[in-house]
Amino acid sequence: MTDAGDALRTADLSRTFSGFKAVSGVTLEIPFGGVRTIIGPNGAGKTTLFNLLSGLLPPSAGRIFYGDRDITSLQPHRRARLGIARSFQITNIFGRLSVYENVRLAAQAVYDGKAGFFFPSRSMRGVAAKTESILGDIGLGAAADAPAETLSHGDQRRLEIGLVLATDPRVLLLDEPLAGMSPTETQATVDLIGRIGDGRTIVLVEHDIDVVMRISTTITVMQTGQILAVGTPQQIRENEAVQRAYLGGLA
Amino acid sequence: MIARLGSIALGIALLPLLMPDGSFDLYPFVGARLPLHAGFVDLATTILIFGLFALGFNILFGHTGELSFGHAMFFALGAYATALYSKGFDATVGPVHLQFLGSGNAFFALLAALAAVAVWAWLLGRLIVPRSSGIYYSMITLAFAQVIYFIAFRWSDLTGGEDGLQAIARPAVPGLPAGWLDDSNHFYIAAALVTFVAVVLNYCIVFSNFGSVLRAIRENKQRARFLGYDVNKYRVNAFVLSALFPALAGWMWTYFQQAINPDAGSIDYSGRVVMMSLLGGINTFAGPMLGAFVYWDLQNRFARFDRYWPEIIGLVFVFFVLVAPRGIAGLIAALRRPSRRAVEQAEA
Repeated sequence: MTDAGDALRTADLSRTFSGFKAVSGVTLEIPFGGVRTIIGPNGAGKTTLFNLLSGLLPPSAGRIFYGDRDITSLQPHRRARLGIARSFQITNIFGRLSVYENVRLAAQAVYDGKAGFFFPSRSMRGVAAKTESILGDIGLGAAADAPAETLSHGDQRRLEIGLVLATDPRVLLLDEPLAGMSPTETQATVDLIGRIGDGRTIVLVEHDIDVVMRISTTITVMQTGQILAVGTPQQIRENEAVQRAYLGGLA
Repeated sequence: MIARLGSIALGIALLPLLMPDGSFDLYPFVGARLPLHAGFVDLATTILIFGLFALGFNILFGHTGELSFGHAMFFALGAYATALYSKGFDATVGPVHLQFLGSGNAFFALLAALAAVAVWAWLLGRLIVPRSSGIYYSMITLAFAQVIYFIAFRWSDLTGGEDGLQAIARPAVPGLPAGWLDDSNHFYIAAALVTFVAVVLNYCIVFSNFGSVLRAIRENKQRARFLGYDVNKYRVNAFVLSALFPALAGWMWTYFQQAINPDAGSIDYSGRVVMMSLLGGINTFAGPMLGAFVYWDLQNRFARFDRYWPEIIGLVFVFFVLVAPRGIAGLIAALRRPSRRAVEQAEA
């Protein structure tokens, strides 16, 4: 891995569900750095693409590369260890464990398999410091001892971003991080995404078009499993094919 | 940690006093002068052995969130390995003739028991962990336990069949007179020491970084995987570790009973350990040991109604599952500090 970081690429990637082509021949390059947002109408294949990139689903055809490395057949935990982390559309945390323990487990994942794994938990210095700093970043320091399942929806979403961050990722795949948030929560989360972008690639699936236009470096538009357009927010806004796909038009 | 392990040590030390023999002035350390009724000390020993069995089982059930319905196979395998090591064997499998003269060395018997169980649990774990979870996991562990049970039942040349193996001598303890362990009180002391060492080991496993990942897996396998943990590797390791404690318990059981028969690997034993764990509380460290105590204590109190014991324990079990799913330890914790304890328990 170079200092500049690696690009995430797909080559002719497809996924079929009993005849239905959810993702069809997608060739895409996401260079290192910046915020790449994937938009498109419901059923366009955005989440399926995420599932392929993170390894939740194997592709029916095509390849995925991270830098020079072919990661098509790597297990999800191997991809996570390479620095590709993801959040889920439906909140995915350790419900009965405390907020602190949630983040600590994520921070500890980097040390999986190393010596000290049979030492008492909470004994690793680096992990504790990392956990505290992440809790500060996501603004949940005061709730550290609460069971994660007792947090508000917005806080749970932010906790999940915290989990993803704590694994030291180079690429963050965030699946609808703003879904179901109040306007205040949305703003706080948008700010958070802005803060964590340094030295990382952020790939978003998001429906809130105002936010997408504001924070994206590049936008990829998908429709019926294929890529319809790629460009800066300005280019996408002016693209006629995109206007037609969204019927009412963008912005 | 000190407080928790200390109270377990105290519990183990005082256990024989809690036995319902009518008087409270007795203690095994002064056994020669104030003889405890041997039957009741033996009940205390039984509780220790099953408590250890349940504590190991709970690495899997309580901490990893996976229910093995066949853990008695590890108990039986440990027990038979010990018995065969002490008595020796002389059996033929096809063209291979197996012969061993037997040895009174309990330490090597323990190594044999642990090695046999570790190898079997590792192979089995590698086979079933990637292929099953939930109810299928329970069923497939049950199926393999039945295989072990029927091998013990049928392979008479080696296992003695239905009658099992008998007249197994208790080992000599270096530095103590021959036959020292033949005394019930002495055996309790030895079992208590072994149990306490195993409890400390179990504690270290459960509250290590490794143990914390098991609870992450229990809460959310998918999230754990996407954080970068090789979830199936952890599940296999948890399976093997949780099998080693029943193996140790089986080792003690063989010397304690001085005999072993296929019952040790039966569904009945597998089910008992599930019941003990749930009675005591699976989300606390010592809950399963507490459950073993309650189970055997109740059985002893209802000894007069022996015929109805399955019905009695069944009702108790149903009561706990419906009314206090977190077991006795959960009830105690709820009485102490309602909200904070809930978190600590989920993390324990």
